[in-house]
Amino acid sequence: MIRVRGLSKSYQRGGETLTVLDGLNLEMEAGRFYALMGPSGSGKTTLLNLVGGLDRPDAGELFVAGEDLGKISGAILAQWRADNVGFVFQGFNLIPVLTALENVALPLTLTPLSRSERRAHALHALELVGMQDRAHHRPKQLSGGQEQRVAIARAVVTDPQIILADEPTGDLDRDSAGQVLDLLVQLHRDLDKTILMVTHDPHAAERAQSIVHLDKGQLGRIEDTPRALAAGD
Amino acid sequence: MLRLVVRNLTKHKLRSLLTVGSLVVALFLLCILRTLVTTLEAGTQAAKSNRLWVQSAVSLFVDLPLAYEAKIDAVEGVEKTCKVQWFGAYYQNEDSFFGQFAVDGDTFLDIYPEVVIVAGSRAGFLANRIGCLVGKALAKKYKWEIGDRIPLIAALFQKDDGSAWDFELEGIYEVTEPVWDDRTFFFHWDYFEKTMEATTTGQPDVGTFVVQTRQGADQVPVMAAIDQLFEHGPQRVQSTTEADFQAQFVSMMGNIPFFVAAIGGGVLLAIFLACVNTMIMAAREQTRDIGIMKALGFTDRSMFRLLTLQSMTLCVTGGLLGIGLALLAEPWIAHGMGSFFPGFAITAGTRDLGIALTLGIGVLAGIVPAWQASRLRCVEALRSME
Ligand SMILES: Nc1ncnc2c1ncn2[C@@H]1O[C@H](COP(=O)(O)OP(=O)(O)O)[C@@H](O)[C@H]1O
Ligand SMILES: [Mg+2]
Repeated sequence: MIRVRGLSKSYQRGGETLTVLDGLNLEMEAGRFYALMGPSGSGKTTLLNLVGGLDRPDAGELFVAGEDLGKISGAILAQWRADNVGFVFQGFNLIPVLTALENVALPLTLTPLSRSERRAHALHALELVGMQDRAHHRPKQLSGGQEQRVAIARAVVTDPQIILADEPTGDLDRDSAGQVLDLLVQLHRDLDKTILMVTHDPHAAERAQSIVHLDKGQLGRIEDTPRALAAGD
Repeated sequence: MLRLVVRNLTKHKLRSLLTVGSLVVALFLLCILRTLVTTLEAGTQAAKSNRLWVQSAVSLFVDLPLAYEAKIDAVEGVEKTCKVQWFGAYYQNEDSFFGQFAVDGDTFLDIYPEVVIVAGSRAGFLANRIGCLVGKALAKKYKWEIGDRIPLIAALFQKDDGSAWDFELEGIYEVTEPVWDDRTFFFHWDYFEKTMEATTTGQPDVGTFVVQTRQGADQVPVMAAIDQLFEHGPQRVQSTTEADFQAQFVSMMGNIPFFVAAIGGGVLLAIFLACVNTMIMAAREQTRDIGIMKALGFTDRSMFRLLTLQSMTLCVTGGLLGIGLALLAEPWIAHGMGSFFPGFAITAGTRDLGIALTLGIGVLAGIVPAWQASRLRCVEALRSME
């Protein structure tokens, strides 16, 4: 599903070149739930953005969902994102002036679906995350956990193969975080999505099947979680 | 998409309202100002082409000898001549002022078919030595009716005993073209001349000879011939076509079109900057939204459209309201302007110019923020506010 060879990415800051990812190699299977861990500033977000086609690599191969992301850009890359990935960010995921339902339906406006179909799909996705009764609330009227659940609904509404979540529970209290993680596990189990979730929290990481460690732009070990081992994945 | 545009604009109600409000005021003013210019120009263009105005070559305010009439009449190509003198009197008190002219009654009505008598009659006017014709608006203002006696207190042409000049209302006119306004007072030259002859001032001079040229005659040689006649005095004259005369009158009021253009340009620039400011603020607040939408697969171009649409919606709302208001206010303003600007009417050209300017401001004010939004890199937009 995801194949990375010699991936490098650096940023220019005040005349200095900051190498964030340095010749990274990585392989991820389809339909598996990965947690990406590492100290702050180690390049987790950078890697996630590259995999999601939000940013472009400086060097190396980057195959995601059968596409060589180093070779496409602009509107084609945008279309690829619309078709293949769903994003959940740490916070402020939603467009504040739109209701939960409108937020979830937003990516569907890029599809040929009719207005009523879009609405039906969005309602269904909200139901999936247990937020159907908040459909007409604005983001401001939702709690942090509810907001993340709506964001997850939006990430799956277009039925992408990959879901990328950057510290989705980072801003949440323990209970809400638990709900969000339950939801990701459930989506992975029921809908067979490939999930890559960045997290600081070892407890959160435990919910995944594999944990990928990233440190100073280098890949550490990839280990299967006890949960996965117990389940025999 | 459209919903997003509207919601973003209504999110900051006060700011949007202020911007729309200033656009309303600006477009309203621009329409009215431009209409003042087009109205002046229309008056110039409506002037009939077979009329010439013969005046002193020195100034509008220097008069010509009465004896010139016969000489002008004898010029090849001249059909009729009408003497005109500005009377400059007032009615009741000095504040109630309106234009009065002594004219050759019958020739005047012949030369100006645009002046149509709607109450009283031409015959009645011609038969009454002290008869007068007044414009409809003027008659309405003073509630004059046919047969009313109207005394005017002279300021320039006083009788020796200082008594008022008496007139009797014999006709009320309307105009089909704004060659004269409908707040003017005309009376007989003969009454004027005879009355003045009886005073110590003596025979009056003529302010202007309005000459009607023969149908189809080329006006240029006629004007040249008239000017030639009095080349060696006692008063040199200058003939102009009526259209040119009106234009000259307009230019006497200062270069109005220039001022209007300058003021209009200033107003436009100010309003344009206000709109740019609003749009830049709006775009900045939506940085993260734009990042999210790009992550969802929206293209750079669609983000450009999103911002442009916001700008257009804002400007078109304000602009069209302003233009609409100007159209609604037109009759009121026309009434208020009265004799200064006869025929005040917003032309289709002015309306279309207003619409074009509105669209132009909308596009231009949105273009910089829209361009920035389209260029914004997704990862940077998402890092903002994190
Ligand atoms: N657009 C950018 N410009 C400059 N430096 C950046 C940019 N994005 C990230 N960085 C730097 O790259 C490093 C890795 O960032 P990031 O991938 O966000 O780390 P993590 O998510 O693991 O905390 C950090 O030092 C960060 O400051
Ligand atoms: Mg990060």
